[in-house]
Amino acid sequence: MSQDWNREEDYVEGQELLHTPGGVRDIYGIECARKLAVEREVHDVMKSYGFRDIETPTFEYFDIFSKERGTVQSKEMFKFFDRGNNTLVLRPDVTPSIARCVAKYRREEELPLRLCYTGKTFVNTSQYKGKLQEVTQVGAELYNDDTSDADAEMIAMLVECLKKSGLQEFQLEIGHADIFRGLVEEAGVSAHATEELRKLIVSKNFFGVEELLNQMTISEKLKEVFVKLPELLGDLSACVSFVRERTESQRVHHALERLEKVEEILRLYGVSEYITVDLSMLSQYSYYTGVVFKAYTYGSGEALATGGRYDGLVKQFGMDAPAIGLAIVADQLLLALTRQKLFKDTALGGTVLLYPQELRKKALKLAEDKRRQGTSLQMLRKSSRRDFAEYKEYAVRMGHEEVLYLEREDSLVAFHVETGEETRQEI
Amino acid sequence: MRYITFALAKGRLAKQTLGLLEQIGITCEEMKDEKTRKLIFANEELGFRFFLSKATDVPTYVEMGAADIGVVGKDTILEEGRKIYEVLDLNRGKCRMCVAGPASAREQLQNGSLIRVASKYPSIAKDYFYNKKHQTVEIIKLNGSVELAPIVGLSEVIVDIVETGSTLKENGLEVLEEICPLSARVVVNEVSMKMQHERITKLLEDLKGVV
Repeated sequence: MSQDWNREEDYVEGQELLHTPGGVRDIYGIECARKLAVEREVHDVMKSYGFRDIETPTFEYFDIFSKERGTVQSKEMFKFFDRGNNTLVLRPDVTPSIARCVAKYRREEELPLRLCYTGKTFVNTSQYKGKLQEVTQVGAELYNDDTSDADAEMIAMLVECLKKSGLQEFQLEIGHADIFRGLVEEAGVSAHATEELRKLIVSKNFFGVEELLNQMTISEKLKEVFVKLPELLGDLSACVSFVRERTESQRVHHALERLEKVEEILRLYGVSEYITVDLSMLSQYSYYTGVVFKAYTYGSGEALATGGRYDGLVKQFGMDAPAIGLAIVADQLLLALTRQKLFKDTALGGTVLLYPQELRKKALKLAEDKRRQGTSLQMLRKSSRRDFAEYKEYAVRMGHEEVLYLEREDSLVAFHVETGEETRQEI
Repeated sequence: MRYITFALAKGRLAKQTLGLLEQIGITCEEMKDEKTRKLIFANEELGFRFFLSKATDVPTYVEMGAADIGVVGKDTILEEGRKIYEVLDLNRGKCRMCVAGPASAREQLQNGSLIRVASKYPSIAKDYFYNKKHQTVEIIKLNGSVELAPIVGLSEVIVDIVETGSTLKENGLEVLEEICPLSARVVVNEVSMKMQHERITKLLEDLKGVV
């Protein structure tokens, strides 16, 4: 764009400061109201399941999130140093922090602990990929409960959270981390090849899997399972029996039994219609040890919620406690709801009480009454230089519901924004 | 019915793909008109939409869910490194990703000396030299006619796609090392794969039958 240097008046001092860095953004107006409402709804569901709030710091020592413990690669974390030259990171997810808290404050507890949180997380992804670097996660963690009931409850709760947010069409996929691990163990695949195989299965690269396996010496039956693994999704019993017939790994058999149990309980919750299985689901998070799940919907290119069992994570902080958790990315959920046009509200609402200076006392009294009745009311002293029409336009611009113009001691004009109607009311 | 949207890499590959789709009964008459200036084409009856884009953008459209399915070369998939499902090898457009240069450069590749590598694929070049060969190199990103680089002395070698090798030969260059084989792939968005599972699986099964 060329700049016309003769037009000085186009330049506004400070305008180069208006934009935010890539990957972060302002959320304001109706979008902000919607986001907070969605977060609150999800959080309320968690509360109704007996989860209690916890807050952990926005930044912690790097070691809390390092390789085995974290969800994000080291190079994708925002790092900085404290005065003692320790490496700090802006948290890429919240789960390891909460595990640390549990190990610190509830070390002796043997019965279940339920904790939930809402917080920002940060991932230093590369630019121009259309990904936010700062998102809000709403999540819940359940400790000291290793039953299939706990697995099912978390999954059922996630379904309810998503339904409560207003989402109608979504899918929850469940899998088990031990299926792949058990199969690899049985096949005796080297660590290096395992990683390659994992990558191929994660990207559902069927032919790549086949090619890789042809270079290895493993039994035909297992080969069949690996090749078929990326396709094993949908109906649980069909998938399970396919794998069961072809493996002797105890680990895999246990995992399959667990999935069947969880599915049975989910039927009691009455949420089966939202659930499908994906036996090839391998989380990129190495800390998952049991059931893993992801939620998908239209209008958002990636999963909007993830979760799973991570019985080994707390151990890394010196306490042996089974755990299962889930996290909903509020920004993804919001995006999906917006794209699916599921928000009914179109304006922020609220009342403007317009009053002339001389009626201040009356206006304050009126405002107090209205607020006590639950109205969100904004006072506005009328300037003698502006007429009522200007204030009506202002209310339209700001998405208010109505303007009350206290014209006289004993009467006011009520302007309803949506209909444009004006009525005079006696007080 | 929800549309299933295809992103096709412009050029020969798009034509071949449309041919394959036609074989399994998915046609798009609008698209055959070469003079059209439309950007997006639909088969309303079957609920499919198609658009053409630059090859390097196909993985982006698919990752972000703007397209459900994409058809693009393995070279682009490797270079872009997007999170997408790579579900089918179309066995079309077969070629190789290679390190090429004048015969004299062979020695420099073997003794691990610091060399300059010109490429349209800096990520692939970097991954190959750093993680497979463990050789420190300087990578120079170019946008076309990469063969020129070693001739005019911009770099010692290049990393590029080689089909027959005749362009290399005409310019006094040869394949020095092979990085990986390439061909056209079908890629699918993660969410689409779940939400439209039945239709997409059916489509892939059908395609497998004609590849």
